[in-house]
Formats: sequence, C-alpha cells, structure tokens
Amino acid sequence: MLKISNLTKKFGGLTAVCDVNIDIEAGSITAIIGPNGAGKTTFFNMITGVYTPTSGEFMFQNESLVGLKPHAVSRKGIARTFQNIRLFSSMTALENVMVGMHQHLHYSVLSTLLHLPTFKKKEKMAMKKAYKWLEYVGLEELYNEEARCLSYGAQRRLEIARALATEPKILLLDEPAAGMNPKETRDLTNLIYQMRDDLNLTIVLIEHDMKLVMEISEYLFVLDHGEKIAEGKPVEIRNNPKVIEAYLGKSAVTTA
Amino acid sequence: MDRIKGYLQNNKLAQAILICVYVLTTSLSLYLLQESVIAFLLVLFSLYLLYLTNFKNSIKWISAIFILTILVPYVSSQGTAFQSYMDVSTLVGIYVAMALGLNIVVGLAGLLDLGFIAFFAIGAYTYAIFSTNQVTHFIHTNFFPLTGNSFWLFILIGGIVAVIAGILLGIPVLRVKGDYLAIVTLGFGEIIRIVFNNLDRPINFTNGAQGISGIPSPTIFGYVISDSSQFYYVVLAILGIVILAVTRLENSKLGRSWKAVRENEIAAQSMGVHLVRTKLLAFAIGASFSGMMGVVFSAKQMFIDPTSFTMLQSITILVMVILGGMGSVPGVILGAALVTILNLQVLTEVTNYLNQLTLDGVISIPTALSPAKMQRFIFGMVLILVAIFRPQGLLPAQNKKVKKEDLVESSIEEHKQTISI
Amino acid sequence: MNDVIQSLPQVLIDGFILGAVYAIVALGYTMVYGILELINFAHGEIFMSGAFIGTAFLFVFSGLGLFHSLPALLILIIVLVLTSVLTGFIGMGIERVAYRPLRKAPKLITLITAIGISFLLQDIVRFITELKRGNYILTGPSLFNSQHSIKTHSILSSFGNAQIKSASIIILVVAVIMMITLDFFINKTKWGMAMRAVAQDRETASLMSVNVNKVISLTFFLGSALGGATGVLFAVQYNTIDPYIGFILGLKAFTAAVLGGIGNIRGAMVGGFLIGILEMFASANLSTITSGVLGSEYKDVFAFAILIIVLIFKPEGIFGKSVAEKV
Repeated sequence: MLKISNLTKKFGGLTAVCDVNIDIEAGSITAIIGPNGAGKTTFFNMITGVYTPTSGEFMFQNESLVGLKPHAVSRKGIARTFQNIRLFSSMTALENVMVGMHQHLHYSVLSTLLHLPTFKKKEKMAMKKAYKWLEYVGLEELYNEEARCLSYGAQRRLEIARALATEPKILLLDEPAAGMNPKETRDLTNLIYQMRDDLNLTIVLIEHDMKLVMEISEYLFVLDHGEKIAEGKPVEIRNNPKVIEAYLGKSAVTTA
Repeated sequence: MDRIKGYLQNNKLAQAILICVYVLTTSLSLYLLQESVIAFLLVLFSLYLLYLTNFKNSIKWISAIFILTILVPYVSSQGTAFQSYMDVSTLVGIYVAMALGLNIVVGLAGLLDLGFIAFFAIGAYTYAIFSTNQVTHFIHTNFFPLTGNSFWLFILIGGIVAVIAGILLGIPVLRVKGDYLAIVTLGFGEIIRIVFNNLDRPINFTNGAQGISGIPSPTIFGYVISDSSQFYYVVLAILGIVILAVTRLENSKLGRSWKAVRENEIAAQSMGVHLVRTKLLAFAIGASFSGMMGVVFSAKQMFIDPTSFTMLQSITILVMVILGGMGSVPGVILGAALVTILNLQVLTEVTNYLNQLTLDGVISIPTALSPAKMQRFIFGMVLILVAIFRPQGLLPAQNKKVKKEDLVESSIEEHKQTISI
Repeated sequence: MNDVIQSLPQVLIDGFILGAVYAIVALGYTMVYGILELINFAHGEIFMSGAFIGTAFLFVFSGLGLFHSLPALLILIIVLVLTSVLTGFIGMGIERVAYRPLRKAPKLITLITAIGISFLLQDIVRFITELKRGNYILTGPSLFNSQHSIKTHSILSSFGNAQIKSASIIILVVAVIMMITLDFFINKTKWGMAMRAVAQDRETASLMSVNVNKVISLTFFLGSALGGATGVLFAVQYNTIDPYIGFILGLKAFTAAVLGGIGNIRGAMVGGFLIGILEMFASANLSTITSGVLGSEYKDVFAFAILIIVLIFKPEGIFGKSVAEKV
C-alpha cells in the first residue's frame, strides 16, 4: 500500500533520514522503532507532506505523493497523530473531531450565511458523526470540554478520534503510548486492533514502548541515525545484533 | 456577595425586576436630564446587564432591540443633545461592525492585521468618489455622479472592492510566516493613506489632502435620510445583519477551520484544512466588512479626507478587539462600544471638566497632558495591560455548548444509517 | 536619463547616509528577531527616544556653555555614549517588564504588547516635549553645518558634483565604526558567540550553561543602544524631529532586515544600505522615470513595494536560509 524508496532528508549539513526503503502492506500493523534522533518523526513528516524530501520517492496506492502539501496528503487518505500532542486547545473535543471531518463536509459560505437547509442538515450530521467517533475512543462524556482541559490520556485519544474522522486508509501514530500507564496502554492496544479490524485501516506506529511494539506489530522497521538497519518480524528483530547495538551499544551485543 | 449572585442566577423573576427597574430609572433620568452624558451611558449599560442575565436568547434580543430602537431614541430626544447622542450611537454602531470584521481576522483566525483601516478607507473613497463631483475629474459621462439611491448598492460594491484589495495583499503575504503579516499590513495601511493623500495628480482621483465633500445621504424610496437620528436606524439594521453573519460564520466549517489554523497550523493542515485558502478567506471577509462600513461612514460624515484613516485608527479597532476579547462576539461589541465612547465622549468630557477646574484655579493640568490628547498613551497601556494580565479580554470567547439531544440517535432509522461506523 | 546620471553621485551619497541609519536600526530588529523570533515593534520608538534624549543633552550642554570650551565633536561623542547607554537600558527594561513574562504566551500576544509599548513611548515623548517646549516638534541646535563638495564631476563628465554636510560625514563614520564593532563583537567575542548560540537553539545553549536570560538582555541592550545612538545622529543630520519619526523609519528598517535575511547581522547592514540608496534614488528620480505620474511622495510606497517583492520571491532574504520548523 505504501512504498517508500530511497527517501532522504537533509537539513543543511545534517542528514536526518538517509536512503530509506520501506514497504507497508495494506491491513497490516507495522512499527517503526529506533533510538531517539533516529529520524522516525522526520520520516513521518515526509510522508505526510510536512517536510519535502530532499530525494527519494514514496508511493501511496501506486500514486506518488512527493511534494504534496499536508492538506493534500490528508485528502489522499493518510492521517496521523503527533508526538507532541497537537490539539486545537481552545476548541471543544467535539469541535476538534469536527475539524477532522473538514474534507468530507461540503457546503458553501453562502449556505452558511443564509443557514440554508443543506447547511443545517450537514452540520447536524457532522455533529452526530463526530460524537460517534468520540464514543469509539471512549471520550463521549467529554464532548463539550475544552481540549486543553482534558487529561493527558484523553488528549491522546482525542487526537486519534480526530485523525479517524478524516476517514483515512492508513493511520500513522507517532508515539501513541508515550506517558501512558499499563492500563491505558492495554486499552490503546485493543483500540489499535479494533481500528484495524472494524475500519479496515492500515496502521503504522512509531513507538518506544517495546512491550507494546512486540505484542502488536506484525512487522518492524528499525532506524538508527537516519538509516534503516533492520526489518522483519518481531521475533527476528528482538535478536538482531545490529538492533541491540543501536539501542544498547556495542558491549551489549557481545553479552547478548 | 456570592450569595447574592447565586440567588440572582437562579431567580429569573428577580433578574427581570432588577433590569426593568434599572432601565426605568436610567431612562427617566436621561429624559429629565437631557444634557447628562452619564445618564445616556447608563441607559446603554443596561444592554450589558441584559447580556448577563439568564433569559432565553430570543428574549434578550427582543429586549435589546426594543431598548435600542425605541427607548434610547425616545428618551434622549427631549433636548438639544439629541443629535449628538444619536451621532455617537451611530458611530459606535459603525465601529462595532468594523471591530466584528477585524475579530474574524485577528480573533478567529489569529492573523494580526494592523492596517485594517485601509479597507475602510477604500470603501469610503469608493462611495465618495462615485457619488460626488469627484468622479467627473476622470470619467466624463452623464451616468456619474450617482445619487444617494446608489448607497445601498455601494455597500456591496465597497465590500467587493475591499475584498479584491484584501486578496491582492493577502496572496503574497499569507504564504509566509505569520510574523510578517503584522508589518506588511501596517505598511499597507500607511501606503493607502499616502496614496489617497497624493492621488490628485496627475489625474485627480481622490482630491488629495483636501478630501471629498458633499457626499450624498442615502435615499430610500425617495426619502432622504438626512439627520443623525435617521442614520442611526440604518446603522442599527446593518449592525444586526453583521452580527448575524459573523455568528453564523463562526459556527460553521469555516469558523472551525479558522480557529484550527489559529491554534495549530500544522495539525490543521494535516486534517485537510487548506492553510492559505482559509487565511485568505478570513482576510478577505474581514476586509469586506471594513469596506462596507467605510461606505456607511462616508455617507454619514458627508466629508472624508485621509486624516480619518491613519494608523491610529487601525490600532483603535485592534484595541477594541483585544480589550473586548479576541474571538468573542459579545466581547468585541463591548470593547468597541467602550473604546468609541471613550474616544468620543469620555475623553472630551474629562478634558472639559479638567479645563474647567483649571480655569477655576483648583488644579492646573497643562495642556500637554490633556486627556483628549493622551489617546496613544491610553491605548498603549490598555494593550499592554490586557496582553499581560488578561489576554482573553473582558468577555472571553466561549465555546458553543452542544446539547446532548443533538448528538445522540433516538430513532432506529437514523441508527441504521450511521451503523457504517 | 541625463538627469538621472547627473544626480547619481548625490543620490549615492545621500543614499549611503540614509542607508547607514536604516542599517543600524535594522540591526536592532534582526538581532531581537534572531533570538526571540519577535518583531520588536517598539524598536523604532527606541530610535526616536534616542533622537530626543540626544537633543535634550545637546541643549543642556549648550546651555552650560560647553560648546565654547570643548570641540563640538567631543561633545557629540559624549552625548552619543550617554544616550546609547540610556536607550540601551530602556530597551533592556522593556524586555524585562513586558516581553519576558510573555515568553511562553502565543506570539500574537507579545506582538500586541510590543505595539502597546510603541504607542506608549510615542506619547510619553510627546507630552514630555510638549510640557517643556510647548510643542512636540523639536528643533535641536545645529552643528557641523559646513558643506563640502565632492568633485565627482571629474570622474565622469556626465556626473554632477555631490554635496555633503560635515554632519553627514560624521554620521557615516560613526555608523561604520558601530557596525564594525558590532560585527567584531558578535563574531569574535565569547558573549557574541553566546548570542549566536541562543539565536540558533535556545534550549541547547542553556544546556551548555549559557545564561539565556542574560544573553537576551544583552541583545536588547546592544540593539537599543545602537538604535538610540543612531537617533542622535539622525537628529544631528536633520535637526528637526517629532515623536512619530520612529514609526515609518522602523518599518523601512525592518524591510531592510528582511531584505538582508532576518536574523542575519551582516544581511541587515547590507539591506539597510540598499534600502537607503533605493529610496534616495526613487525620491530623486521617480517623477522623471514615470513622467510626472508618481512624485517623490511615493518614496515610502517604494520601500513597501520592495518588502512585498522580497516576501513573494525570496522571503528568506538575500543572505538568509530557509529554516524548517521542527514538528
């Protein structure tokens, strides 16, 4: 579904991502791991249009998306959450999700001004749908709460609901479990499975929580210093000496 | 104190009684003491009290309309100050509408526009040029100049011209970092003023520094709207439409896009919001309000010149939005009313009062410090204090609370439809 | 066309002098933007305050009869030092009181505060001047008035001769000295390096035990001191000043900073000179070029048009690099 070839990103003298090749299969749950600074978020940013790759190609459903701006990428069916939560803080949870529905909501400025029946009907449907998304992630009680007042875990779930509202084909989760306790992580795991099954989604996540990664991923890619150093099934990666070295240093490999 | 508040909040009858008593007392005082500016302001203050009550919105609106269209004009009509009261109220109305326009740009979309007065000037000059002899300086037909009949059409035209200017300015600037927008709009405001000030050579478009006079009053079905009290109703009606439009825009897909762009541009983009287009729409729509009110302003003043459209005016409108509450419609209305009344009435009154005291030898305030001249100081202080201590403004923006009934399905039919999730 | 060429030397001379003023004021904008990503709207007013404070000092010294005992140049230098220290502290004070508490607030709020300070300063200077002098337009004592002629006519016969006031020569020299000193300071001293570090990456710099707050204060002090000194030079050159000169000049200086690449010190200097020369050129030749359609009143419009063009085609400026935001 998503085919990344030789993707590279340089910032002046620094090469953040170097010649990375990654294939994501439709319907899979894939994880991208690696030590901090490995270039994982830069990688996400490139395939969502936030950064323009210095060179390389990435094809989504056989269509090249290089050079597209983020809003265009979103309309192609790629949705994401952010490492540092990026919610619309002063808007309510419901409104946050409704922004996610932006590209599927069609009515003109004129019908807004005149409150034409089209406007009223579509707004009402949008509100109902947004509520359903909140229910899906378990936040339905908080629909009128300002996003900045929500707890950390709730904010992460709201980001997911908002991303789901764009009705994507592929969902990129950037460290979704960061700062979560074991119970929350379990709920997240279940949610991810649910999303993949109910909604026919392909899921790619960047994560540091190894327990979650090993449990949930079907396939793994490991990045270090901007390069792909390994890929494979969880069981293979766990014992891969290069991966161990990247995370723990050379001495750890010899003692493994 | 809190007990009283709590009691009042639950007792609508008490609120109703208090408000009626207040309105009656203040109206009576104004009726009897025509020259009392304070009484006039107190009557207007009843609108704020009305806002604070718990009544249904429709009741509040009907009461407000009653107070503004019938009560205020009637009770202030008994003396010689009538026209001046109506004059001030009309200007307040014009500036409130302008501030609501700027509120879209600064408050909702988060774009700092410091040259908002430029669009106002464009609208004002458009009407002024084509409805007076000014147009004969460069177009020679019998069609021009147009009469006051065309005023209503010109509100639209002024708005459109302003939108075009807004788009032309916005396209290069909104693509780059938001910080630059402030400086560019500041420059643009100045440029428009300089251009209008000098556009009397080689072809006399704007009559330069002399300004354009003899701008016709609007006519409706042959009836000329000649004095301030009549114009007051025109402005009131337009203001009503503006408030409706702004509120509707805010609670829509577009309003949410604006707020999203203001809160977090990158997240907004990733959710499919087209950044430049959204910003441009905010900028253009805001400009249109400014342009339209410019037309109204020039028809009311009957004379305009470049000194009415300086940076000080741009900042004045900004103070209205910031003081009242960025993004908050009631806040901006309050802010605009406060600042305009401050400018037009309070400062001059206080200055006169102090002058009187000086003449009587009580205290001596040098003219350099006279309040009427201290506008920049006051506005500067207001901006700084609000920004540091209460950035959300006097009446902070509030999210629309959605009722649960609107969200949850009751009928099985609708349930079946949405089962796709 | 002949007129254009003939006046070219004069235009260049005047442009350089104006450009020197723009350049130093632009430095203030660019340094603060580089370090805080904030457009310090109040900077134009700092420049203006410098002009007024300097003129006030000149009046005081003239009243004390110092002009009879000391060479005018020495007095000017003393005034320059005094004024720049004062304005430096004013600038530093503004940062401390108004910008520092808002460092975590959204950018919009800080910009609004800056505008507020700008207005405040304008009015404070106005009413102080009006109190003391009855009018807010101030005319200082005229110094260094002798004209000198530069024989550019002998270089190329189509050039006319250029005139330059002594005052202008002094301004040029002082300005260049200030710029060279700043450049040296930024690039060759420890504190200068600290400033560059904080401008690049505040967090990392603080991890390297750089006292970020001190560096920011220093940046404001330097920028404001230089701006104030330029104000004095401006007052000496043009003699008559009012509280509103900071506004338009600030706009143009900021344009210069953008033109050179915002955050780039050398860029600001180059940008300043460019804008100064372009403006003088426009002022002298606009009516000739446009056959009378546009007169020299439009020279401000000209500077603004440059800003728009730079923003459209090369927003990072001549020397700037486009920096991607960390997501």
